[in-house]
Amino acid sequence: MPPDAGNISRQAIVVDSLTKKFGHREVLHAISFGIERGSVFGVIGPNGAGKTTVMRCLLDIIRPTAGTSTVLGEDPRAAGPALRRRIGYLPGELFLEGRITGRKLLSHYADISGPVRPGRIDALAERLGLDLDRHTRKLSKGNKQKLGLVQAFMHDPELLVLDEPTSGLDPLVQQEFLAMVREAQGNGQTIFLSSHVLSEVQQAADEVAILRDGSIITVATVDSLREGAVRHVRFTATGISTADAGALLARVPGIGHLEVLPTGDGVELSATLGGAIQPLLQVLASLRLTELVLEEPDLEESVLELYGTIRGNGSGNGVTSNGRRRRKGHGA
Amino acid sequence: MKKPLPLFARAFVDSWRSTLGWAAGLAATILIYLPLFPSIGASPEMQRVMEAFPPEMIKALNYDQITSGPGYTQATMFGLIGFLLMTIASVSWGAAAVGGDEESGQLELTLAHGVTRTQVVLERALAILLRVLLLVALVFVLILLLTDSAQLNIRPENLFGASVLFAGLTMLSGSTALFAGAVTGRKTYGLAAGAGVGVLGYVFNAVGRQSTDVDWLLDFSPYSWAYGNNPVANGADWAAAGWLWGISAALVALSALALSRRDVGTS
Repeated sequence: MPPDAGNISRQAIVVDSLTKKFGHREVLHAISFGIERGSVFGVIGPNGAGKTTVMRCLLDIIRPTAGTSTVLGEDPRAAGPALRRRIGYLPGELFLEGRITGRKLLSHYADISGPVRPGRIDALAERLGLDLDRHTRKLSKGNKQKLGLVQAFMHDPELLVLDEPTSGLDPLVQQEFLAMVREAQGNGQTIFLSSHVLSEVQQAADEVAILRDGSIITVATVDSLREGAVRHVRFTATGISTADAGALLARVPGIGHLEVLPTGDGVELSATLGGAIQPLLQVLASLRLTELVLEEPDLEESVLELYGTIRGNGSGNGVTSNGRRRRKGHGA
Repeated sequence: MKKPLPLFARAFVDSWRSTLGWAAGLAATILIYLPLFPSIGASPEMQRVMEAFPPEMIKALNYDQITSGPGYTQATMFGLIGFLLMTIASVSWGAAAVGGDEESGQLELTLAHGVTRTQVVLERALAILLRVLLLVALVFVLILLLTDSAQLNIRPENLFGASVLFAGLTMLSGSTALFAGAVTGRKTYGLAAGAGVGVLGYVFNAVGRQSTDVDWLLDFSPYSWAYGNNPVANGADWAAAGWLWGISAALVALSALALSRRDVGTS
């Protein structure tokens, strides 16, 4: 999605052909994307895909080899401290080793960031269940992460850049984090977050960029990912042969990985469905079903297939995600 | 309401335990060594012992003036134990200030806030400077207080000059450590570079004093610049002080420049 110059004022982040080399190794290959103000944007990808590198470039912690980025209307390289005061940043790997309490550490970060409302730090700490009077180096990984989150949110920045924000958090705190993200969005703040798994991002993000090996594979809304996502279908039916059942199901658009096994007087069939449900239901209505399971779409799997599609040089189908059991041959 | 110099304040306040520890160590060595002067350095037995030592060793240890109070203070305190302690302290602070902070991953988060890299380097260098000055001031005051009771016979203005050189020599090692850390992002390189300046300076001085054939080594020894003319006895060589402080300041400036021009957290 190449950025449009007229759009920049409405966009919190515009990245254009951003390229980064470490020595001879290029880790970002001219990536471009834009993030609307007030939206929640997720970037996902396996470890080493370049997520952290993108975020560090936006904060001017590292400098791109080529390409430009605009953050809140400014060039991060030139705008300096004034711009960074308007951003809350959570690094992907958070190290807090000092012999200092969480409260003192946060007060230090408050001194070098935007203004923090009185009581704001305590309110955030209480929400996340964080004890501010313990020494930071004695905190567990999860509690350090909470401290990092308080640090990023406390000055209510216009833009939050959060690298793997839910890492180390237990599920209840993850939910609280999601609530904080929604509230921030409600206040008009923009959130840019990353994860190596989609499930952590899909609840929070409006839009998701999928990054692999330093290139953006796709930018899509979570809704459209969900539409394109793969469901698993399993059923048993009586009074039909494996060949007939296979032929019948193969006519349904979006069916893949079809496997048909004979049972007593019928078949047991499993398949994936990558399209609309209605055509499948019409076919199923003509069968004598004894059991039917139609799973929720698995975004994770559809994203993995997307990685796999690129990796396998684009045959598009025939790629199964690891761990799925495959029985004999395809019925069709 | 922003606090002024927040990075300086944090660097200084966070390390008060360490500063206090070094202060206690320095005070202890001064209080143990200097009162022994009347029974060691000034005694006739010591004269005879010194004559028994090989002259090369006497020169290497700067013990040639040890039988006078100023010479004893110069050789034991400023030249050996104090030099060792202060160099270790200053080098460890210098290496930790940028290189150590970056290596531990904490510099990244600081730089993501409303600070410039130059500000980070300058405020942290200032925190090292203040700690060095406090410790050297402690050394100055304690020696001054002991002068009479330990029969050291040191003139205060010479002691002051020696202290300025002592602080400058210490800052040179510390700022070298800071610079190497700022260039490489690694604490180990900072420690190696800072310690290298201290150790080589000492060795060049010890070897360079042996004969006129190798005395050119003294030109490369900050230790010799500072102490070559025995400042506690003879007063400071202010030009040498200028060099020590000037190079230290330049290294701090270069550290700021180096850190500003590179990626952080990638080494």
